[in-house]
Amino acid sequence: MCVAVPTRIVAIEPGPMPMARLEPGASPASCCLAYVPEAQVGDYVLVQHGFAVELLDPAAAALSLAAFAELGLAPGSAAP
Amino acid sequence: MALRVMVGEAVAGVDARVVVERTPAGEVVDAHLDLSILPRLEPLLAGRPVEQVPPLVERLCGVCPAAHHLAGVAALEALAGVGPIPAEARRLRRLLHHGSVLTMHAHAFFAAGREQALALRRLGKAAMAAAGSPGHFPVSAVVGGVAGPLVADAAEGCVRDAPASLALARDLFDWALGAPSGRGAENLADGIGRGAGFGGFAGADVALVDGRGRLDPLGDRLRAVGPGGAVIVAGAAAGEWDRLIAEGRPGEAASRPRLLAGGAPGGHYRVGPTAQLRVAAPATPVAAELAAEWRRRGGGALAARAVMAAASVEAIAELADGGPGAGDLVAAGGASRPAEAAGAAGAAGAAGAAGAAGAAGRVGVGWVDGARGLLVHRYRVGGSGMVEEALVLTPTAQNEYWLSRLLVEALAAGAAGAAGAAGGPRGADLEGAIREADPCLPCVAAPAGRMGVVVETVLAGGE
Repeated sequence: MCVAVPTRIVAIEPGPMPMARLEPGASPASCCLAYVPEAQVGDYVLVQHGFAVELLDPAAAALSLAAFAELGLAPGSAAP
Repeated sequence: MALRVMVGEAVAGVDARVVVERTPAGEVVDAHLDLSILPRLEPLLAGRPVEQVPPLVERLCGVCPAAHHLAGVAALEALAGVGPIPAEARRLRRLLHHGSVLTMHAHAFFAAGREQALALRRLGKAAMAAAGSPGHFPVSAVVGGVAGPLVADAAEGCVRDAPASLALARDLFDWALGAPSGRGAENLADGIGRGAGFGGFAGADVALVDGRGRLDPLGDRLRAVGPGGAVIVAGAAAGEWDRLIAEGRPGEAASRPRLLAGGAPGGHYRVGPTAQLRVAAPATPVAAELAAEWRRRGGGALAARAVMAAASVEAIAELADGGPGAGDLVAAGGASRPAEAAGAAGAAGAAGAAGAAGAAGRVGVGWVDGARGLLVHRYRVGGSGMVEEALVLTPTAQNEYWLSRLLVEALAAGAAGAAGAAGGPRGADLEGAIREADPCLPCVAAPAGRMGVVVETVLAGGE
């Protein structure tokens, strides 16, 4: 099953292929917003292969991050 | 490998890893896509209250949460013995599912035109909102029904925008059929996935159908047809799952599930749009017309996705029309909130379900036929409602064998034609094969022609 951890957008460089800078510590550090052009600073995105493929609001991102933490899969949590 | 490391690799942008087995003379014996970065999360679900499983799984899978949402709730309903689902609730669940399917299919067509793909995606999102799930994670389905009525203004928007989206789907179908496949195409990005499909698959095709044998992504019957079109399984219910399909390598990402009814060598089968169109006809007129043309012209997976996108657009237009219905939203014995399902599972359905499952524990199976194909949730619970064993069988796992055949075919074609650097397989051949099977992996998010493919060669029969 593919998994995707939400990451917050901290800055956007507009253009034909808009690029987002992601929150410190994120990997990758940036992504392309071509698939989700409606994204704004503060939104969370799911990134695959350098592209944001889905957009989440902060509440949805919190649910997702909580699920990862619940199963001990979040970065920094103890390995299962 | 620790599960947490696997998750880290799975979410990072990684290339597709193809493992090719060759004889010492260089002959290709086999090939497969390395799925080891995909975690099997089921062991982590054991010991949890069963009603927690669907929301946990859907929130981990960011790509297709609606499919997990619907399959998971259906599994809880099977455990609780709740049903039949009221007609209005079925309507809204279908609307949610078709919205999700359209959103996912739209992603495949960015190469054809970004605005066209975004338009389809907007309609898909609007359909999900009309079904009561405006955000990324769906909240529409509850045990026995849905949480709320049709959202009228979102539904009206769907009805208004559907005709233009249907015309787009037709155009995308023509585009998908309009050029030769990526092999030999000068413009890799333009050619990959388009045109005729790969050669025949020696396994079966599996999809969900309705009572009339038409494709139904939320159908309660599974149909399997063999390579020549002979029916292997006419229409099996979810409760028959353990007699239908078994994993050859339980617990592995590439678990090689197989049909137990036979009818295809090794019981191998595939799921997804190509399989769907080979199993049955779409239930809507434009999609049915496109499907007939797809069959006549030997279309591949990309064109099949366009057909199924059209089917979802047509379904959305029909389901969103007419305003909120007057019927019940939740069946008797259902739960208005997911947390109440534990009570329902423990009381209303316990006696009957326990009798059916025997001493081994109660089992509930739910399924949906999504954008990538059949997704199955199977839960076995103890008397306390805690999960003893869970199975989340994804389309990617079910298509892994088919993908291995596609890779072998691509390698053979690459060897027969122009070779890549140092005589190795051309990346475009392997990318085309991977996109044909459309695994749920980060690499498929790369634009057409830009998928990184790493080939590892191993000696056949060696370690």
